[in-house]
Amino acid sequence: MQQISSRKRIALGLAAFLIAGACTQAAAPAPSSTPRPTGALVTAQPSSAGGLTSDGKILVRWFVGLGTGGNPEQLGAESAAVAKCNAADGPCTKAGIKLALEVYQNDAAYDTLATQIATRNSPDIIGPIGVRALNGFGDQLLDLSKYVQAKTLDTTGIEKNLVDTYIVNGKQIGIPYAVYPSFMYYNKALFKEAGLKEPPHKVGDKYTMPNGSQVDWNWDTVAQVAKILTVDTKGNDATKAAFDPKNIAQFGFDFQWTDPRGWATVIGGSGSAVAADGKTAQWPDNWKKAMQWYYDRLWKDHTAPTQDYITALAGGNTFQSGKVAMDFVHTWYTCCVYPGDNTSPVKDWDIAVAPISLDGKVTAKLHADTMGILSSTLHADASVLAMNFIMAQPEIVVTYGAMPAKAADRKAFFNSLDKKFEKLDPTKVDWQVASSMLSYTESINHEANMPNFLKSDAAIKALQSDMLTNATLNIDTRLGDLVKTLQGTFGGS
Amino acid sequence: MMLTLARRESLWGFAFIAPWILGALVFTLLPMGASFVMSLTNFDPRHPDAVQSVGLANYQRMFGDPLVHQSLAVTLKFAALMLPLTLGVSLGLAMLVNNPKLLGRNVFRTFFYMPTQIPIVATTLIWQGVLNLHTGWVNYVLGVFGIAGPDWLNSTVWVYPGLSLISVWGTGTMMLIALAGLQSIPTELYEAARIDGAGKWEQFRNVTLPMMSPVLFYNLIIALIGTFQYFTQAYVLTNGRGDPDNSTLFFNLNLYREGWRYYDMGYAATLAWLLFVIVLALTVILFRTRSRWVYEGATR
Repeated sequence: MQQISSRKRIALGLAAFLIAGACTQAAAPAPSSTPRPTGALVTAQPSSAGGLTSDGKILVRWFVGLGTGGNPEQLGAESAAVAKCNAADGPCTKAGIKLALEVYQNDAAYDTLATQIATRNSPDIIGPIGVRALNGFGDQLLDLSKYVQAKTLDTTGIEKNLVDTYIVNGKQIGIPYAVYPSFMYYNKALFKEAGLKEPPHKVGDKYTMPNGSQVDWNWDTVAQVAKILTVDTKGNDATKAAFDPKNIAQFGFDFQWTDPRGWATVIGGSGSAVAADGKTAQWPDNWKKAMQWYYDRLWKDHTAPTQDYITALAGGNTFQSGKVAMDFVHTWYTCCVYPGDNTSPVKDWDIAVAPISLDGKVTAKLHADTMGILSSTLHADASVLAMNFIMAQPEIVVTYGAMPAKAADRKAFFNSLDKKFEKLDPTKVDWQVASSMLSYTESINHEANMPNFLKSDAAIKALQSDMLTNATLNIDTRLGDLVKTLQGTFGGS
Repeated sequence: MMLTLARRESLWGFAFIAPWILGALVFTLLPMGASFVMSLTNFDPRHPDAVQSVGLANYQRMFGDPLVHQSLAVTLKFAALMLPLTLGVSLGLAMLVNNPKLLGRNVFRTFFYMPTQIPIVATTLIWQGVLNLHTGWVNYVLGVFGIAGPDWLNSTVWVYPGLSLISVWGTGTMMLIALAGLQSIPTELYEAARIDGAGKWEQFRNVTLPMMSPVLFYNLIIALIGTFQYFTQAYVLTNGRGDPDNSTLFFNLNLYREGWRYYDMGYAATLAWLLFVIVLALTVILFRTRSRWVYEGATR
């Protein structure tokens, strides 16, 4: 008996030990029978002490993945730029610098950078950084004011308001690198098939409806046109009584890869989830109307894909599936509208201006990327030099789909895009639409900071999931709940 | 000095298990200690220098956190459905592939085990397609019989059966363990039962189940721990959000979000310790009750 009880104790003890080990390390990479991908596409060689390479050069690490730049297709241009800088006659080598590239997929980049900072193994340059990442890591960035004033960092030709965008708490934490205006991508073949006129390319131009009437290019017009362009598997469009919403083959439009603040800004006009006092949560009336408008398109008209359809349409790259007629996205989507030679591209597409928002103004949300240097860098001057070089490489700008912040560089950028898409004849994209949308950006960026940003952003993303998956939402009630949740997170740690 | 044989054997034994002990100390005990210390702080990996002691504040916060309650409820709900299902299916499959009348037993054993060799992420992505409301095969097959299939992955009700289906797909390892258990049951017991007039059901109930109970107990413990650590499938399907409406916010997913999405590492460590206490408590309860239902031969 004594023996049995000891055995039980040993078994329990062993079990407790194993469970404790498993549980308390649960936050480590998820235990599974298969290794999880780290998301690292390229990692730098470890440096010796003091951020120097073994041959005594200053090691400058460039961390990519917090914005665009983490896609495998972009790796070639990034690696080529680094090789160019490190070549025998390259600027890095001449300055005694070795530039090292670290590329991570976007979903892994945040965790990786946080871990690197925590273990005091931080990179030097990070970027391109989108607005969201800036909200997460902005306070870690070096003040670049002295380099801007000394013109070591070249901001010539960049609108001052764009440069000032990156002054946070009196610190110039970045300089504008690229801007990504948004507009309506549309599939010309689907418009043609439906016998519809293409949407306007100039703000203020009217849209010609099938009956010949000239109407404003606003979101109500989009809703009507989308109905004609949404077709079920039997060929009935969404204007017909026989239309079957359970078996839709083609959708009128989508908002690809954005969130409720993005939807609300484009449909409803500029707004913010934070009141002017900086601490009160809100969801402005124009944004409420926008949410109801979009929800009706999802579940009432069925002209925009819900989550199940989004998953089924090219894994979420809905416009590229060829089954979405209009898609409101940014310039960076040029990365993925034709992702590779072995995919089936949407061959015949163009871009149109943003429709007039519900507040009566045209609002085209803007994404912007910057490059920054972590304040923990041991070699600020060397990092600035390397960053200047990276930002001046045209190949990188093209692979990022990044419209240069410097207006003078934009023509070359669009020419390079034309070259990229030349195989997709008859596609010839009207790029002036993209440039023109820069004049209609929102007054408060739709990705602007909020108190307790990461949790507040997650609460807004939860609204997105609800809207895309739940057919019986009361939008007013749900938005009321969201504001309460946001107020809670605003006051949280 | 001459060592006795027993002492020499002990020393050799210790020498052989020394790497494991060392590994356990460095990679398990040390991180455990670190995580406990971390649970008493506000550690944010982005600001390592700003770490401060917060005493038991994280523990206090944990008890009032509705998302902790939600994630526990989700995990328990899923466990209630998934544990009996996977245990039953793995035992059933093991009995099937152990049946001498089954033609090509080894082929079936391989087929049933094969899914466990596929990376979980790949399996989950495939099942995401299979369970799609509009284009998934499951609903297509149901449609052939005139049944409108549910929205497996976007309904707060159907998501649990949906995830359970994915879990059942990966029961190969449990099946293999059950198969080994079945093959270790002496055939004399079945012969004796048959002579006593026992039918198939009686044989299963009075011979197979008792003899298999230690194996089932083992599978249950492992599956229970696995359920509380359920993460990858929920993360992949919902991009870590716990959709729909937090109905897939499993305990481990919530822990991950706190630690790696919100960088609240101190609080995440606190949740890890709660996870430990819960799983340990459940394991102790199972160990305590095993004498009532686990047949352990002479040591019972």
